[in-house]
Amino acid sequence: MALTIISLMKQVPLPSEMRMGDDGLMDRTKAKSIINVDCGYALEAGLQMKNDNPDAKLIVCSMGPPSFEESLKKALSLGYDEAYLLSDRRLGGSDTYATGLAISTMLKHLGYGKGLNEDFIIVAGRQTSDGDTAHVPSQVAENMHIPQATFIEVANLVDGKIEAKRIIEGGYQMMKLPLPCALSFTPTGISPRRATLSGAVKARNTEITVFNIDDVNLSDENIGLSGSPTIVAKVANIKSERAPIKMSEGHNESELVSSLIKNLKSGKNTIEVKEKKEKKEKKRPEGYEEVDFRNGASGILTWAEVVKGQISRPSLELLTPARELANQLEEGTKVVTLLIGKDIGHLAQELIAHGADEVVVVDDERLEEYRILPFASIFELVINDKNPEIALFAATTAGRELAPRIGVKVDGGVTADCTALEIGEHIDRKNKKIFAPILESRRPTYGESKLATILGFVCPQISTARAGTFEVPTPDANREGIITHFKPELSEENFVSEIIETVIGEGGLQNLFEADVIVSGGRGTVSDDMQLVKELATALNEQGINAEWASSRPVVDEGVAEYARQIGQTGKTVRPKVYVAIGISGAVQHIAGMKEAETIVAINSNAKESIFANADFGIVGEYQDVVPELIEKVKGGFTFGLEVK
Amino acid sequence: MNNHDVISTDVLIVGGGPSGLATAIELANKLEQKGVKKRIMLLEKGASIGSHILSGAVIRPKVFKDLLTTKEYDGIPFDSKVTTDVTVKLNDHSQMELPFHPPYMSNDGNYIASLAQVCKYLAGIAESKGVEIYTGFAVDDMLYNEEGKVAGVKTKDTGVDHHGEKQKNYQAGTVVEADITVLAEGTRGSLAKKVIERFNLDSGKNPQIYSLGVKEIWSVPEGNIEAGAVYHTFGYPLKDKSEFGGGFIYGLSDNRVALGLVVGLDYADPRFDTHAAMQIWKTHPYVSKFLEGGNIIEFGAKTLPEGGWNSIPKYYEDNLMIVGDSAGFLTTARLKGVHLAVRSGICAARTAMSAFEKGDTGKKTLAEYEERVNKSFIHKEMYPIRNMRAVMQDGMLLGGLKMGVQLVTGGTCLFVPKVHADADETQKLSEYQGVPFKERFSGKLEFDKKLTFDKVTDVFYSKAMHDEHQPVHLVVNHPDEFQLSNIEKYGLSEEAFCPAEVYELHIDKEGHKSLRLHAENCVHCKTCDIKSPNGGITWTTPYGGDGPEYNYM
Ligand SMILES: Cc1cc2nc3c(=O)[nH]c(=O)nc-3n(C[C@H](O)[C@H](O)[C@H](O)COP(=O)(O)OP(=O)(O)OC[C@H]3O[C@@H](n4cnc5c(N)ncnc54)[C@H](O)[C@@H]3O)c2cc1C
Ligand code: SF4
Repeated sequence: MALTIISLMKQVPLPSEMRMGDDGLMDRTKAKSIINVDCGYALEAGLQMKNDNPDAKLIVCSMGPPSFEESLKKALSLGYDEAYLLSDRRLGGSDTYATGLAISTMLKHLGYGKGLNEDFIIVAGRQTSDGDTAHVPSQVAENMHIPQATFIEVANLVDGKIEAKRIIEGGYQMMKLPLPCALSFTPTGISPRRATLSGAVKARNTEITVFNIDDVNLSDENIGLSGSPTIVAKVANIKSERAPIKMSEGHNESELVSSLIKNLKSGKNTIEVKEKKEKKEKKRPEGYEEVDFRNGASGILTWAEVVKGQISRPSLELLTPARELANQLEEGTKVVTLLIGKDIGHLAQELIAHGADEVVVVDDERLEEYRILPFASIFELVINDKNPEIALFAATTAGRELAPRIGVKVDGGVTADCTALEIGEHIDRKNKKIFAPILESRRPTYGESKLATILGFVCPQISTARAGTFEVPTPDANREGIITHFKPELSEENFVSEIIETVIGEGGLQNLFEADVIVSGGRGTVSDDMQLVKELATALNEQGINAEWASSRPVVDEGVAEYARQIGQTGKTVRPKVYVAIGISGAVQHIAGMKEAETIVAINSNAKESIFANADFGIVGEYQDVVPELIEKVKGGFTFGLEVK
Repeated sequence: MNNHDVISTDVLIVGGGPSGLATAIELANKLEQKGVKKRIMLLEKGASIGSHILSGAVIRPKVFKDLLTTKEYDGIPFDSKVTTDVTVKLNDHSQMELPFHPPYMSNDGNYIASLAQVCKYLAGIAESKGVEIYTGFAVDDMLYNEEGKVAGVKTKDTGVDHHGEKQKNYQAGTVVEADITVLAEGTRGSLAKKVIERFNLDSGKNPQIYSLGVKEIWSVPEGNIEAGAVYHTFGYPLKDKSEFGGGFIYGLSDNRVALGLVVGLDYADPRFDTHAAMQIWKTHPYVSKFLEGGNIIEFGAKTLPEGGWNSIPKYYEDNLMIVGDSAGFLTTARLKGVHLAVRSGICAARTAMSAFEKGDTGKKTLAEYEERVNKSFIHKEMYPIRNMRAVMQDGMLLGGLKMGVQLVTGGTCLFVPKVHADADETQKLSEYQGVPFKERFSGKLEFDKKLTFDKVTDVFYSKAMHDEHQPVHLVVNHPDEFQLSNIEKYGLSEEAFCPAEVYELHIDKEGHKSLRLHAENCVHCKTCDIKSPNGGITWTTPYGGDGPEYNYM
């Protein structure tokens, strides 16, 4: 059978219009729709594979309302051969779990993933700009029982196998996967092409096949609200707390920089914080039935990710919310941490010192490096054994693909990228029931403008927590806990994908978490390969300031900076005392990673860039003019108002 | 051209404005009537039809009755019928209303409309008649056959970086072979410019001259203005004699106002800034009263050809016709081009039909296009005032007098000044004798971001967007000359005249001056292609779909 490349695509509101509403918030009704950015990269990846495999068939699949046909047409005009849309009102309210199930059911209906020896590759976007979960590719892969690789930048089909470059914290990994398999793409690979007129003419004459759920034999219990293990309980607005920026004034760079120094001295603008109205304690309605849906599940399971023989920082951070949740639950609720790797037994005590009550150690030489299939299988076994009520993962590239795959295995929902986790209750007024205790997972959404609270009703309730959000707990070397060893039987099938090479920059640049000043460069600084950005950081170091340089995504895309230095939603979240953003536009994804900095200084040649709406001090000026001036000043003792220790 | 996909069509129309859409509709109707099957393709660079359309617009509706069936006509989404029509002369702080309408300015029976919306509607009608419309495709080259005659067009190659290197996502543009190519690109069409030059179509004609219109749409409190109200202003802040133009304020439905300032680009001051002039104009109490308590919802800018009859080039060649603003069909005195654009499209379509019937698309047959135009109201409206813009260089009063003479004498006028291309009218900083723009309005150039806006803020409301991964679409033709003359001698007049802050004069610490381009801001008004001294800049089409995203302009 000839090769088929299946692209999964979603249509989303134009991200730049998400902030265009009257209140500055997204207005979906007016927003223009586009192909989700990451999906555009996946479409391109499929087209690139076709370049080398001219006989391959390209199909594009989507699930959503009929308006999605517009984007499917677009995909056809790019060169896809066939387009399919699963569209049905009954799909409304589906969460990622139900979506993954629905899409894989459609694919099976089309003849793929029935366990035959087929040649197909699923290419999908890493995540969508209106959902941001990154779950669906993993869930589809698990439903289809095929191997997967997520966060892929480029992939080539070589001798019947996929060779892919996977982005991981601090570096990348080269992987080899057999067919069939599923790949999800980051928006850092080859930019999506523009349609050609000849393609558009062809697309005009190609019909899109539209299915409803009956066509693909999907029962309505498995989709929509009833098929979704999670619900969105509440969406609250996130108000920006940043006061208006102080802009530098001047006719040339030296005046501008002097003005900046003066402004820094006089301090930021402030806004009056309105007294928050005392929240009325909601009365618990009477006569409601109280439901403990846990059915005996108890305890919190976390994953300790091991990178280069050490427990990664986000996994230690995770023990903070894990401990807090355990404390909010019944006495004796335990935090159990799963530690997988090769020769890692000695790390168990460190986890206990940071708050784990029990560490389950799986030591196997085949598990030296993280791989999704065996890790997911081990989790399934441990979950079946321990029956935890909650499972937490750090939202690293590994955690974000592992959690949803496990979710499908245990028929549970997953909440991605949370910034707050709490125990609460859910009042179901329709059925007069109170579900308690329940995990309230809160996550920013709609381009960070809203905070959604997500609830899951299946145990374990799975969430991933955004790296950098929680503090690493203070270790207590005398803390005691149990260490158990577990030797799972793992079939060879778990090891069909190989890791060829893992490349990680210096220590994953942990110093970015500790630096007092981060000098960060964006697209505006690639002209000299960020030379001046680095020089500014060095000059600060010479003054005795702990400074580090970093970058925004486009610079990493261009290969000028390594991924470990990327700040933002898909990179690191940092909170230095001073963040100097140079030539950075201020996309919401970037802001998400640096907005907690105490003071933000923005330098950009374009006064309308949104970075200025998210900074305390600003200079409108050209990179190559302003930064040398700034370096001079630093050499003369200017340290952005920080004291030299 | 190797590697390019090739498609062919019978008729290819470049541009989805009123002229291109009228050509398509009329031709589809005629083909249907005669039972002939032909393929009509229309290409538009805007992301959708209307995205790049900007007009006033007060529209004379009659011509649409000729184009459309009654039912189709009744569906045109005009905004409101003109109810009030006032012309005022603004002085520094007072105003005077003219008790009469200057000749050719009456708006009885006309409609205020968003031309973008009207075009969207016309596009729907054209598609229903089988016209294939493709939006988001920029046409950047003409195709010629072995005999050197027009043979179609080519769409722009994409996936090329700043330096012209092909990227992995490179896509060669599509070659479209066509029996007849109709250029309907609107003002200062970039393909029209190429064919006019190649075939010397403007020989013996006056150079085309233009105005730039800078426009905003506001949402205002109920009662500020009545839908259907039309106000035209002249005078403040423009200087009589040296700056030709005026303002318009139109009341739209739903308490919205369309307003703008239109200024002839034949002024001399290299520092003159139409965008700033429009902001200053808004602060005049006569204008600001309409906007009080409101907020801006859209911004845009566009040029319009105002040379009149004597500046119209020959508008056909073998296999080629030029319609609408691209040919210069616009009644200068009325600032109206929509009805002429539509009429020229109808004439071109009928000519195409005749060509298909005769089996000849050569210029002998296409010459019928000119005959049709000359028999139509285009000639009737444009010919008598053929010298209007030229005499207006004498200022509104004396010019107005000469205009009156023209009307009586059928256009003959003894003292017609010679017309120069707009770029040639700009004087060097050292030559300009008048008070420089910035001094004239010193103290008025701080924009409060409530009533008045800097360019960058306004551009935000045009929703202009350009992919950064493409060759810069504003081409500096001779960089050395540009540095020595445009920058050193004219002080980068581009920075002043561009309404979207695309050009920036950068002066470093040593006082060295250089040009910085912010191509992503461009709103496709074409002023730089027209007004840059020494023909310093050529505007080329960026990738299709890029540019402003107008909604109600
Ligand atoms: C400020 C202002 C006010 C005006 N007020 C009035 C008024 O009140 N009443 C009135 O009747 N007229 C008015 N006009 C004039 C009127 O708008 C024009 O005469 C009319 O729009 C011309 O129509 P057109 O089809 O020739 O060109 P346009 O309407 O300009 O349409 C041309 C189309 O072609 C597309 N295009 C151009 N080049 C390419 C290319 N290379 N490839 C693909 N697509 C391309 C453009 O994107 C555009 O959509 C006004 C004009 C302006 C600027
Ligand atoms: S760059 Fe030229 S076409 Fe673009 S907005 Fe400025 S003057 Fe107009």
